Amino acid sequence: MVLDPAHGGADLGARGTEGIRESEVVLQFAAQVKRALEAQGFQVVMTREGNDDPSFDDRSARANSQRGAVFITLHIASTGLVGTARVYVAPDIPPVTDTTGLIPWDRAQGAFVELSRKLGGLVQGELAKRFKGSPDTVLVAPVRQLRTIAAPAIAVEISSVSVQDRTELDRMVPGVADAIAQGVAAFRPSYVLTTAPGTSGGAQP
Amino acid sequence: MTPKARVYLAGALLATVIAAALYFPALRRQVHKAKQPTEKTAEQARRELLQLAPAAGSEPRVKARMYWGSKTEDGSLVPVTVELPLSPDPVLRAKEVLNTLLAGPVDPEARTLPPDAALLAFYILPDETAVADFSEAIGTSIPSGIQSEQLAVDSILRTLEANVPQVQRLKILIHGQEVDTLAGHLDLTQTFQANMKGVAAPEEPKPSGMSVLTAPIEKAVEKMKSVAKQ
Repeated sequence: MVLDPAHGGADLGARGTEGIRESEVVLQFAAQVKRALEAQGFQVVMTREGNDDPSFDDRSARANSQRGAVFITLHIASTGLVGTARVYVAPDIPPVTDTTGLIPWDRAQGAFVELSRKLGGLVQGELAKRFKGSPDTVLVAPVRQLRTIAAPAIAVEISSVSVQDRTELDRMVPGVADAIAQGVAAFRPSYVLTTAPGTSGGAQP
Repeated sequence: MTPKARVYLAGALLATVIAAALYFPALRRQVHKAKQPTEKTAEQARRELLQLAPAAGSEPRVKARMYWGSKTEDGSLVPVTVELPLSPDPVLRAKEVLNTLLAGPVDPEARTLPPDAALLAFYILPDETAVADFSEAIGTSIPSGIQSEQLAVDSILRTLEANVPQVQRLKILIHGQEVDTLAGHLDLTQTFQANMKGVAAPEEPKPSGMSVLTAPIEKAVEKMKSVAKQ
């Protein structure tokens, strides 16, 4: 599992009027999600542990260098109904026609979109059970971070930094962590890869 | 110095002081007046630009469908019909509807684009790809997030779809440049496909030497050359 607390460093991400910063809150979410996943027996790698800001490509490289990884990027939105959570997957990317068998970096997600949808649907289903008002199905959006991931990849976005009190977000942390861990555990049996050309994928997480 | 000279000097100094007392307030007013245009807000500048938009008022008023945000906070768009003087020319028409979209709805809560953002340029390539170039405020003033950024792009795309059928694809630039994301999340390196609910359609890999913008034109030229050879 590769967990990506988005933003960091000078990039604060979404900012609320009460001084809540997305880059800080996602670190707290990521730490709890990591523990929940490890409790399910998964090995977890983080793209950042502190207040640094790796590039999109550096974060992708952490996932693409793992064998049979699953990638989850965590975000806190500026908007949306407070107390809800959404899962996004990348849109379809046309199949690669390159005869060398190599996957172009900027289209790496192409071969994994179906698996990402499956994973996203399972995690969204778990989130919808815990957070009323969340969508029942996974959403599609061209999230920049997902495009360069050669593995099943989803973005989880929680609403929102506009809460009056940070504790409203803190209360969501255990539920989000549990929903992600349960969703990934349910996804595990379907993650049987036929090794994609030019990738190190092929193993179960 | 003679007493007479002293009197002349004192008189001259007194006259200078009186002249300065009269002139300085006038000078201050002039400086204040000269300073005012530089303190004009970006919003004022944008509204002035909008007033100068070509054809406004001279074209017949038609019903245009604008896509602004819903009040339900669920990230959805709702169509709003407004009467606008729209040009039959697709580029002018697109500029008019996008400027109306930027000006925003009656309810500011339904706004999808930041109020200080402006459309700097708009053109349509021969392959029906529209290129919309916005000021930097579209990325710096928008609420950061996947949902809010997708809503912004979808509102642009769906408004163009509804009013300018000549647009099949959309490329968004910021201050004339291709950028990685709108505000940290949504991918703007891609071209958005119209009539697909805002889903981005990644482009086929480009042969080396072609830029994103000139590739369709160069492809068209190559096709014409091959037809000419036959």
